[in-house]
Amino acid sequence: MANHSQLGFQDASSPIMEELVEFHDHALMVALAICSLVLYLLTLMLMEKLSSNTVDAQEIELIWTILPAIVLVLLALPSLQILYMMDEVNEPDLTLKAIGHQWYWTYEYTDFKDLSFDSYMTPTMDLPQGHFRLLEVDHRMVVPMESPIRMIITADDVLHSWAVPTLGVKTDAIPGRLNQTSFITTRPGVFYGQCSEICGANHSFMPIVVESTPLKYFEAWSSLLSS
Amino acid sequence: MLPGRRHLQPLWATCSRTLVLTVLLGGLYRGSFPFQVVCTREDVYQSFKLLGFLDVKNVPCARESVLYGSLGSLVVGLGHFLATSRVRRSCDFAVGGFICTMLGYWFYCRYNLAQQKIRQRMLKEGMRNKMLFEGSSFDPEKKQTGNERSNS
Repeated sequence: MANHSQLGFQDASSPIMEELVEFHDHALMVALAICSLVLYLLTLMLMEKLSSNTVDAQEIELIWTILPAIVLVLLALPSLQILYMMDEVNEPDLTLKAIGHQWYWTYEYTDFKDLSFDSYMTPTMDLPQGHFRLLEVDHRMVVPMESPIRMIITADDVLHSWAVPTLGVKTDAIPGRLNQTSFITTRPGVFYGQCSEICGANHSFMPIVVESTPLKYFEAWSSLLSS
Repeated sequence: MLPGRRHLQPLWATCSRTLVLTVLLGGLYRGSFPFQVVCTREDVYQSFKLLGFLDVKNVPCARESVLYGSLGSLVVGLGHFLATSRVRRSCDFAVGGFICTMLGYWFYCRYNLAQQKIRQRMLKEGMRNKMLFEGSSFDPEKKQTGNERSNS
């Protein structure tokens, strides 16, 4: 989850998010180079006398056409690489469904057993000490770690959005439509997210909690829940 | 104005810019003054943001890129000035040198980092497979020993 006053990304917990963070660093480095150049040119312009003698500027026009094209290529290539990486179909081990309601999520595990449960936010007055306000839920979505997971996301009433920043996932939940996304959790842990599409009065109070555990604990949990 | 004094003003401006840049880069190298240092966790995590957005302390390769870029800028700018005595053009070359060296080292460093990550992943996978398959028929070391015996 994010710390207070955090502006940057959370630590990545999936390979796609790691790639996104690296691309973000790359984009900022390119931005630093451009800002340095612009800062220098601004300083120069402030020290120059204004002149209206220029009638021809072939060289500078060539430079300020080619240089931005190079910058765009530097940004576009890794961006497209990640875009195609996100669309790869990699034979998921598990398919889960997340259905958005006003104002809670329903998770369905229908691959092996017919397992379905609702996930409501834990009210602040019922929160145990040390737990996170407005982020904890009564039933977490548990997934096995280091396994490709396919998520099918939809909604029952209005638009919602299923987002977990540390996994690099944000997908709209649209009534009457099934949206698909996939992720792999690289480590065990509890990952928090929040609904990311305005959906009514309690839009801020329908969080998402994904718990990633080793496979044997996931199997024990699913057996417990289905019994 | 005397003919020779026309060049002093831009030279002074260049020197003052160089001095300011040196102080700022010294701060970058030391990791403290005069840039913003933000504690977002108690006393473990500190960020050092260049121009307010690039966290050179926590982004891999960023600090080295900026420092090597500064060195490259100094070398190119100073070298050009010593060769031509043209202040304005030397400043242009210095800025160009900074950008090219910084981006050049950035790509080199990130490429090496990506290769290192791939090697780490392969090592992790190999260690896990070794633990999983040790002693079983899938153990690659067993197969290798078996081949050596059949060859001898």
